Amino acid sequence: MRFFRKTNIDFMGKRRWWYIISATVIGIGLISLFTKGLDFGIDFLGGTELVVRFERDVEVGAIRSTMERTGFGRAEIKSFGAPNEVLIRTTEQAEGGTIGERMRAGLAADFPDNPFTVLREDKIGPKIGAELRRDAVYAIVASLVAILLYIAFRFKFIYGVGAVVALFHDVVLTLGLVSLFNGIVPGFNLEIDQNMIAALLTLVGLSVNDTVVIFDRIRENLKVHRSMGFVELINRSINDTLSRTIITSGSVFLVTLILLIFGGEVNRGFAFALTVGISTGTYSTIAIASAVVVEWYERNKGKVKVTA
Amino acid sequence: MRKYAGKITLIAAAVALSLYFLWPTYRDWSLHGRLRGLAGQDSTAFVEANEEAIRAARAKRLKLGLDLQGGMRVVLEVNVLKLLDDLAKNKDETYAQITAAVREEAVRSEESSVTLLRREFEKRGIRMSRYYRSLRDTNDDITAFLEDESTKAIDRAMEIVRNRVDQYGVSEPSIQKLGGSRIIVELPGVSREAEVRSLLQGTALLEFKLLKDPEIAFRVMENIDKALAAATGADTARADTAASDTTRLDTPEGEMSREEFARKHPFFTLALLDQRSPGEAFVAEENRDEVRRILNREEIRRLIPADLQFLWSAKPVRFQDGTNYFVLYPVKASPELTGGVITTARATTDPGTNQYVVTMAMDDQGSRDWSRITGANINKRIAIVLDNAVFSAPVVRSKISGGNSQIEGMESIDEARLLEIVLKAGALPAPVEIAEQRSVGPSLGEDSIRNGILAGLAALAITALFMVVYYSRAGTIAIAALVFCVLFLIAVLAAFQGTLTLPGIAGIILTLAVAVDANVLIYERIREEIESGKTLRASIDAGYAKAWSAILDSNITTFITGVILYQFGTGPVQGFALTLMIGIAASMFSAIFITRVVFDVISEKSGAQISFG
Repeated sequence: MRFFRKTNIDFMGKRRWWYIISATVIGIGLISLFTKGLDFGIDFLGGTELVVRFERDVEVGAIRSTMERTGFGRAEIKSFGAPNEVLIRTTEQAEGGTIGERMRAGLAADFPDNPFTVLREDKIGPKIGAELRRDAVYAIVASLVAILLYIAFRFKFIYGVGAVVALFHDVVLTLGLVSLFNGIVPGFNLEIDQNMIAALLTLVGLSVNDTVVIFDRIRENLKVHRSMGFVELINRSINDTLSRTIITSGSVFLVTLILLIFGGEVNRGFAFALTVGISTGTYSTIAIASAVVVEWYERNKGKVKVTA
Repeated sequence: MRKYAGKITLIAAAVALSLYFLWPTYRDWSLHGRLRGLAGQDSTAFVEANEEAIRAARAKRLKLGLDLQGGMRVVLEVNVLKLLDDLAKNKDETYAQITAAVREEAVRSEESSVTLLRREFEKRGIRMSRYYRSLRDTNDDITAFLEDESTKAIDRAMEIVRNRVDQYGVSEPSIQKLGGSRIIVELPGVSREAEVRSLLQGTALLEFKLLKDPEIAFRVMENIDKALAAATGADTARADTAASDTTRLDTPEGEMSREEFARKHPFFTLALLDQRSPGEAFVAEENRDEVRRILNREEIRRLIPADLQFLWSAKPVRFQDGTNYFVLYPVKASPELTGGVITTARATTDPGTNQYVVTMAMDDQGSRDWSRITGANINKRIAIVLDNAVFSAPVVRSKISGGNSQIEGMESIDEARLLEIVLKAGALPAPVEIAEQRSVGPSLGEDSIRNGILAGLAALAITALFMVVYYSRAGTIAIAALVFCVLFLIAVLAAFQGTLTLPGIAGIILTLAVAVDANVLIYERIREEIESGKTLRASIDAGYAKAWSAILDSNITTFITGVILYQFGTGPVQGFALTLMIGIAASMFSAIFITRVVFDVISEKSGAQISFG
């Protein structure tokens, strides 16, 4: 069986269109990022987070009034996957970390006939929160720089730039969509926590994986088809590897989709970011990374020799 | 076939090694499964019969992260500012201003609090000796002293926490130092939060307690022994006939078999009396929890006089047979003195005898009390007790006036240093704060494991279905390689004592994708080569050769992100990075090497056709 016979799509000729599509989606994402913003977890804000499972379904409103009575009127309360599971979060800090205890006592007093078990309770001090925030930014920047250097070393510098521009595109786009889709369905929570950072770095790894496969083919074709025009050669390389790109991305997409559906609430944000990331990663590999390289050689036509 | 004997042996060895490393995990799982099926008496008997096997399997099985098995993770941070404040003297308004400025700065700065403190002093042109140590000291001396004190404080906090966690009795706790001033404590299966918090945070209590007269202690233990024998005797009497029981009691002690002794003296079977001083007992490490339970029983507690208390040694003693024994000390319940009176303690070597000793000094009130206590108890033993664990029980040789004492008999400098830490813990608390605390209930952990396995199987099934449909027979071979890849990945994780976390399971699932990618790259290449008119054999060769650079480069870039993730991430995220990195390595082996050998063997054997779909 095969999906693709020899294709001959003029990807690079349509690169204006790709720019417009990317700019539109990123634009929507950025609008969401600036208006709706991201939902940072307490990993990065510091505070206390409590996830409880009641024996029977509870109203979020009832929990809210309990929290107001207990002195946590500003706590964020949302349903956590199932209707009998609730997440309560506050960024308040208290000496000795007794906030969770007070919350639990309040719940026990207000719901005497609906007992609950604590699924998870996290308390993050302000200093640790700040450090995790800093480390997350470092991690993403460091991985982009490391990839730039590795690709520049294995190929040419401009290829590294193309790859990193594509990755940057993926990360921004994914964050935008995370912001947009967060909470559109009750219980569908996409917050920025450590797992989300892991997802962003993974999509960076997988997206660059795709990019490298195409660059590898460009490198090979440059040796074989010495007389071919550069735009044509890049088109040829993308078409050569198209079957593989779609199949691999397709199977990874299926896997992350499964993770999104069956992986449980804890893995939800992680799986969502990966599912989006795989799609944009595949797209940006074809449309952005190679386009940057083409753009650069077109601008410098005659001044530099085309190499890989 | 013979041509590939070496490669096939290598693959077989890798598989065998993997199974070897996964065997304890399987054992642990199956033993637990059987244990769950049993109840009450049966389960106790089962544990006793298989104790060795259970422990061996437990030690080497694949560890589950706290997010999967439930438990608490606490990051403690030593409050250096508080410590500096404790060390200062003659505090006044200026001092308060300086520390307030430092406190504000410390939140933002990455520099150590001592450095910040010094800078603040220098900015104001005040010598540090105004508040710290003696007037002769320079700022350099004092900075060095304060830095030293703050590193010692973390060691002290570590020891206090370790001691308490040990007394608390958690299975497989992990206590690690993180950077300069943090301690990570992981307590699997623990969820009583308030209890743990007071356990980790409260001030350490150091006490000096007199050992009870060996004869009194022996008599108490004898009573406990008799009470236990009577209780178990009543049980067995129902099964055995009363007559045979009486005849056994007549047998002289010396000829008793081990079983008989165990039946007659259940307590002394567990707690071996020290021949030199029969008031103390040695309890093998694996029996400690049982003895602890016995001593806590209501009817046994009634047999122990109110002024007597049994305390455990903090560290076990290693006997010649290789078993670790804890010492059970009978001490007077009320302490003679508490540790607040100690001003300094130092581990050193005695210049006269060249032995390791610890010297300690006390304040005025303490010295007076100490002189009276030692004077009245010459040749008796005093236990040094920190948070209810006995660290040393030296004999009082003479009356000590002036408060300067020397404790001898340490076997190594480490032992002496430990005692120094313990003595100081009473004098200078190491103020710790909870910087981070995460707890996962056991039910969430079980849900997560179930979801993780479900997602993994679903991913494997869908990938397998797709590969077989799309690449037919070659696809089947790729799937076989995929199964090996997962086997290697989990085995390597188990072999290096790695921990499987929930993001780690996600990492394994992602590895499936990465491993399949390598095969897709190769197969697409082989199809191209076949289409260009090459023979199958030549196409396979060319396919592998040409796909290699793409696979290598793309896997290295993914690996790089894994390394960075491991560097910057914490806990569960590191688990993800680790499985991703191991997975990439394992997938290179299985997706490239193993499939290649299979193709080579098949195509050579019969000149057979392999369908690439």
